[in-house]
Amino acid sequence: MEFILNSVEDTISLGKKLGSLLNAGDIICLEGDLGTGKTYFTKGIAKGLGIDEPITSPTFTIVNEYYGRLKLYHFDVYRVNDIDEIAEIGFDEYIFSDAVSIIEWANYIEELIPKKCIWVSIYKQPEKGPNYRKITIKYDGNRYNYIKELK
Amino acid sequence: MRILSLDSSTESATCAILDDYKLFGEITFNYKKQHSTVLMPMIDTLLKNLNMDIHSIDGFVVSKGPGSFTGLRIGAAVIKGLSQGTGKPFVGVSSLDALAYNLCYTSGIICPILDALRGNVYTALYNFTNNKLNMLSDYMLLSIEDLIKTLNNHNQPVCFIGDAVPKFKDNLTSNIKQISFSPANLNLARASSLGELGLKLLKSGIQDDLYSFAPFYLRKSQAEREYEKKLRLQVHE
Repeated sequence: MEFILNSVEDTISLGKKLGSLLNAGDIICLEGDLGTGKTYFTKGIAKGLGIDEPITSPTFTIVNEYYGRLKLYHFDVYRVNDIDEIAEIGFDEYIFSDAVSIIEWANYIEELIPKKCIWVSIYKQPEKGPNYRKITIKYDGNRYNYIKELK
Repeated sequence: MRILSLDSSTESATCAILDDYKLFGEITFNYKKQHSTVLMPMIDTLLKNLNMDIHSIDGFVVSKGPGSFTGLRIGAAVIKGLSQGTGKPFVGVSSLDALAYNLCYTSGIICPILDALRGNVYTALYNFTNNKLNMLSDYMLLSIEDLIKTLNNHNQPVCFIGDAVPKFKDNLTSNIKQISFSPANLNLARASSLGELGLKLLKSGIQDDLYSFAPFYLRKSQAEREYEKKLRLQVHE
């Protein structure tokens, strides 16, 4: 599924719609260059989960935890040099829990990502304008069929 | 020798005080991992109700893994703190040994399985002969399929115990002939089992070092993971 958006607000709003559909244990992977809006998309998801706290990128903490309609684990693995660093914080115990997990830069730790997940890629569209983004959402697993409801 | 034993490697938060002849008391909560909030009050309650002082404990035993990353670290931190503060020794014992010991006097192979996620289990094979628990394998991280193969090669009755039993019971039952499962009252990590094994070690002079001790997590090696990744890629092509 593809979305062409041209503002930060649209990115947040799409995230919010997704956030309102999520179920316990869902895993969302985010891929895209620096400054494409992965964290804004996450802010939207958090809103959709009913989380009021400000969301900041866990670039240095690796993972932040929030409490809303569901618990949210927000990962950023950009800084990770070795996949073992992530495995050794007990990554599996986080993502196979009943919380929602969002993983920014998931492509860096692809071998730790379960097959059944939502994969969101965000790319700039400089030929259309500086604020244009193409957001592609793919998923594997029947549990994520609700993605079809996103418009 | 009187010891305090603690196991937080699985969902079970469990603490016991025992000596050679007697289990004085044991508290176990086998419900949702909440180790960081319940462990210290449990130890405190146990000591108070037994009218014992932490300084009357001669040594400590803690689960050294495998199991939950966070749980193992909480347990190790607590026991290291108590050991350093009181100046008494401590020793780490595997949670798998302790689970197998729950099933002592079982004939055939005793096979504890802890859920390692992604279809894998932490496991080791044991038997109980001449009043002693014997290890028949190393500590292993195996897929359930590989474990079934390994056990079928042994061709002996197997009794399973551990938190991965509910998840894999059907699969195991349909693939292993002589099979049984631990009753629920024994199927949990108990600090008394861990403590009894640790007590023997401490009495024979075996102890762990405060500064170098770390739990073991049994991760697959880099080489194994790369190999699996390669296999996955081939499937996709």
